[in-house]
Amino acid sequence: MLEVRGVSKTYKSRRGDKRANDAIDLTVRPGEIVALLGPNGAGKTTLLRQIAGQLLPSAGTIEVAGVDMVRHPLAAKEFISVIPQECEPKLNLTVEEHVRYFAQLKGVPRSDARRYTTDLLRATGLETYQGKLVRELSGGLRRRVLIAIALAGPHVRLLLLDEPTTGVDPEARRSVWQLIDGLRARRIGILLTTHYIEEAEYLADRVAIVNGGRVVAEGTVQAIRDRLPYRGRLEVRGLDHLTPEGRASLREAERKYPATFRTGNIERLQVQDPFRADVIREVEGLHALGLEASLAPVSLEDAYLSLVDGSTAEGS
Amino acid sequence: MSGWSTLRNLGTATEMLLVESMRELGIVLGFTIIFPIGILFFLNQLVVPELRVQVLVGTIMMETALLNINALAQSLGNDKSTRIFDLWVSLPVSPVVYALSNALSLLPYTLASALFTLGVAVTVFHVAIGWAVFPLLVGGFVLVWASTLGIGYLVGVYAGTPRQINAWAQIVGVILTFFAPIFYPVTILPVPLQAIAYAWPLTWGSQFLVALVHGSSGTTMLAGAVLVAYVVAWIVLIGTGLRWRQA
Repeated sequence: MLEVRGVSKTYKSRRGDKRANDAIDLTVRPGEIVALLGPNGAGKTTLLRQIAGQLLPSAGTIEVAGVDMVRHPLAAKEFISVIPQECEPKLNLTVEEHVRYFAQLKGVPRSDARRYTTDLLRATGLETYQGKLVRELSGGLRRRVLIAIALAGPHVRLLLLDEPTTGVDPEARRSVWQLIDGLRARRIGILLTTHYIEEAEYLADRVAIVNGGRVVAEGTVQAIRDRLPYRGRLEVRGLDHLTPEGRASLREAERKYPATFRTGNIERLQVQDPFRADVIREVEGLHALGLEASLAPVSLEDAYLSLVDGSTAEGS
Repeated sequence: MSGWSTLRNLGTATEMLLVESMRELGIVLGFTIIFPIGILFFLNQLVVPELRVQVLVGTIMMETALLNINALAQSLGNDKSTRIFDLWVSLPVSPVVYALSNALSLLPYTLASALFTLGVAVTVFHVAIGWAVFPLLVGGFVLVWASTLGIGYLVGVYAGTPRQINAWAQIVGVILTFFAPIFYPVTILPVPLQAIAYAWPLTWGSQFLVALVHGSSGTTMLAGAVLVAYVVAWIVLIGTGLRWRQA
């Protein structure tokens, strides 16, 4: 579906070259959702724009459904759909007009376009809004319209979603996730970038973490979590009103379990096994001193922060 | 991509943008249709009768160029700010389809404006133009309009932010309409300025339309050929992917 091999992108300027992507390899298979995670400026959008044919790579190859995007961009774009970051549909077109016109631009014959659009609107839960102007819709519904536009076209095999739920409220976000998740049945491959770790955890079959223009980790959510040398975390809240006993008890805990994250009010400690009896006793002891303490298995966020070097004693 | 599918995409994109522009800008664009009348009235009081055709042509060309350059550049600027431009770039359509459909969606307003101005000039100001020349002039307006196509596209694609695009569109529009000899014959200018004026498509457009009215076939052919060359050059320039896919 998507094969990215050795893709590098260097921006040249008088102040010196800046390498935004460095020898990136990535594959997305039919029906698979791959999430690109990384801090701002890591090179996620640059990579997406090259895959979408909006930006020429400095080196490497990009194949979409077997077609070379660098050499034959118009042919490759038949198989690809993109939702750019913070993209707004046209406010003065209706939902139906958006999908119908873009479907026609992507090869659906004019005579079939209305029926095709009705089917697609039904599949994306937009049927009841088809006559509404986009300016009358909420942010979540506008994202749905963009996804419907992206799905339009007889040959679409790959969706590129650049931060598809940024700026959307949590309820609408869940609804967009369900829509994206349901697209697996269409055997469409999806590559998405996101800053929401839970979005990647909910949707992605595989995650690629990009930092400094390179893929620093790739695999299933579980495989990425397993890269951490510990299995659980102890989180303590209420550091801003510690009693002397509580402070002493916390110091004791810190000697046993290394701190991974700390703010004025919260501290996270690494624990090898969050279900061991001595760890649970430690938590009960902290509770007894009036501290909010909880245990949890490591999350994708823990692994992510560790991989992008943001994990140690931040804010302490 | 075949010529047929390019034409089909052009039709679809133009229809979409026309529907959008009528809903979004209908009243404003309606006003632009009657706007040139004021200029025509004002200038008509100043010039000798022999220059009335030139003033009429200049008024129409100013509207054609300003509307085309401004509207196309601003459409592109708006598409950039809403990131719809990125969506277009990722579609399997040529940049010519995108640029041309944006411009074509505004052509009805330009043509309506030109025809309204022409009608007022003939009926109210008694500018001597035979009705038989009208169809030729409509073709001429379209050719002049097309010869400025690439300017709006270049401003829209290169000028960066929507505010910069707005500013550049105004500057370029003013330079093109007031520094090109569209309200007066090019021969009035000093020779060095004439050479510069001949680099603007509007100078040729003006000569072309005046020659059409006066029936000067030699000038019509020459100026028409230059305008066609401009149109072809813009389409080639846009079609070769000028800033469509960034390096």
